[in-house]
Amino acid sequence: MNTILRVAGLHAGYGAGDILKGIDLELAQGSIMTIIGPNGSGKSTLVKTLAGLLPARQGSIELEGRPLNGLGAPRRVLEGIAYVPQEYNVFRNLTVLENLKIAREFMGAGRREKRVLDEELEQLFPELPRHYRIAAGNLSGGQRQMLAFACALTVRPKLLMLDEPSAGLSPLLTIEVFNKVEQVNRMGVSILMVEQNAIESLRISHECIVLAGGRVRACASAREILGMKDLNSFYLGDASNRI
Amino acid sequence: MLQTAFNGMVTGVIMTLPALAVTLLFGVLKFPNFAVGAMMTVAAYLAFALNAQLGWPLAPATAVAAGAMGVLCIGIDQVTFKPLRERGAITLMVASLGLGFILENLARFAYGNSARSFDLELARPFRLVGVRMNQEQMITIAVSAAAMLAMWVLLTRMPMGRAMRAVADNPSLAQVRGIETPRVIRWTWFIAGALLAVGGVLIGMDRALEPPMGSNYLISVFAAAILGGLGSPLGAFAGALVIGVVSELSTLVIAPNYRIGVPLVAIAVILVFRPQGLFGQPYIRK
Repeated sequence: MNTILRVAGLHAGYGAGDILKGIDLELAQGSIMTIIGPNGSGKSTLVKTLAGLLPARQGSIELEGRPLNGLGAPRRVLEGIAYVPQEYNVFRNLTVLENLKIAREFMGAGRREKRVLDEELEQLFPELPRHYRIAAGNLSGGQRQMLAFACALTVRPKLLMLDEPSAGLSPLLTIEVFNKVEQVNRMGVSILMVEQNAIESLRISHECIVLAGGRVRACASAREILGMKDLNSFYLGDASNRI
Repeated sequence: MLQTAFNGMVTGVIMTLPALAVTLLFGVLKFPNFAVGAMMTVAAYLAFALNAQLGWPLAPATAVAAGAMGVLCIGIDQVTFKPLRERGAITLMVASLGLGFILENLARFAYGNSARSFDLELARPFRLVGVRMNQEQMITIAVSAAAMLAMWVLLTRMPMGRAMRAVADNPSLAQVRGIETPRVIRWTWFIAGALLAVGGVLIGMDRALEPPMGSNYLISVFAAAILGGLGSPLGAFAGALVIGVVSELSTLVIAPNYRIGVPLVAIAVILVFRPQGLFGQPYIRK
């Protein structure tokens, strides 16, 4: 299977110290990879760096073999990367329709298309058109998450990165969110997902990496990680469980 | 009283454009730009040079001054504010105070302290329902209304306007939605510069051209923007009208010299009881 994302020796951080201390990972085209790890392990920093919001201090990032280092976030969007942040992932003071229009206008879909959601996305997010005139800040947490997904998908990215998509959602909504993630993946979009809800996210994933202390502690198939007896110690980055 | 209210409304209308510029700049760049008064002064003198010195009609002189001020503001941002962007709002605000002094004194250096006026054909005032109105006031209302309509169309109907609101709402999300923030910042400065230029010309028509003409309006303009809610264009419009009318009506009960107290009281009251202003969103700190 082709590799869509290749990261090698990635260092990044805030201020003087590095939070990511040499990350290597490869994501196969069409697959879902979950990144798990304890708080402060660098999960969100990793996806922010890949999205271009934080500069890489060392190492390389390639999407389909094309280097992304040096490109800012908006250029990476045009290369095919879409990123849904954990919080504040919609423009709260803009309406749902305006959020979708911005995605279409600036993420590379072209401005001529009148419909903000194509048929496939309308089927995937049937509730959204009913809320077009509502300010996105007035949506419920689950609805906001759906809008953020829809915005990220308007241009059919090659790689969708999700930072804790189930954060703050009820168990029922969490299941719905993961169902959507699976459906999006079936549309041919490769997915890299940071998630605290390890068990649920691993159930729909193909691959998993465990981060701890800014380093990859383990990289294995999601099934292998799920099958581990002591997932908790693994989840917390116990190096003795290295695969 | 009706006459006073009408005069106040015109004063408020004059302030809508600079208040809108303040609120746009604050929304996108997150700092209060205290150089807006001096920017209005410089732009008004630019229009004066074309109108009174080169003999152009005031309308094209204002249009050219607006374009020139827009470009000048982009240049000012590149030289003054861009290098300080990472240092926070206080640093940028202090820089804007210094820039205001420089710009105002450049105008003073070029044209001196004496008051000047635009070359406008005199027209007889007329009366409508007992209220005396003059040509300058009508022009002010028409130009401001047209500018506000253009801003509404820009901000709600055009991609760049939406992008400006998106950057004001959430700058990092705007980046991952493909919006080039530096381009949005340039457009914001251009539009703010053009609004300030038109505002400067309207002030010059209403009063006279003199170096402190813009800074005399500074407190009222900020009061209007804060009352309406910093970052809210609709709020800037409503805030300017309220401040203008209330300031003018206050002269019925207090000496006109103390009129400047009205916007200051308005700022104090609004910050205590509704810090986000009439139309602003409550500030959420992450």
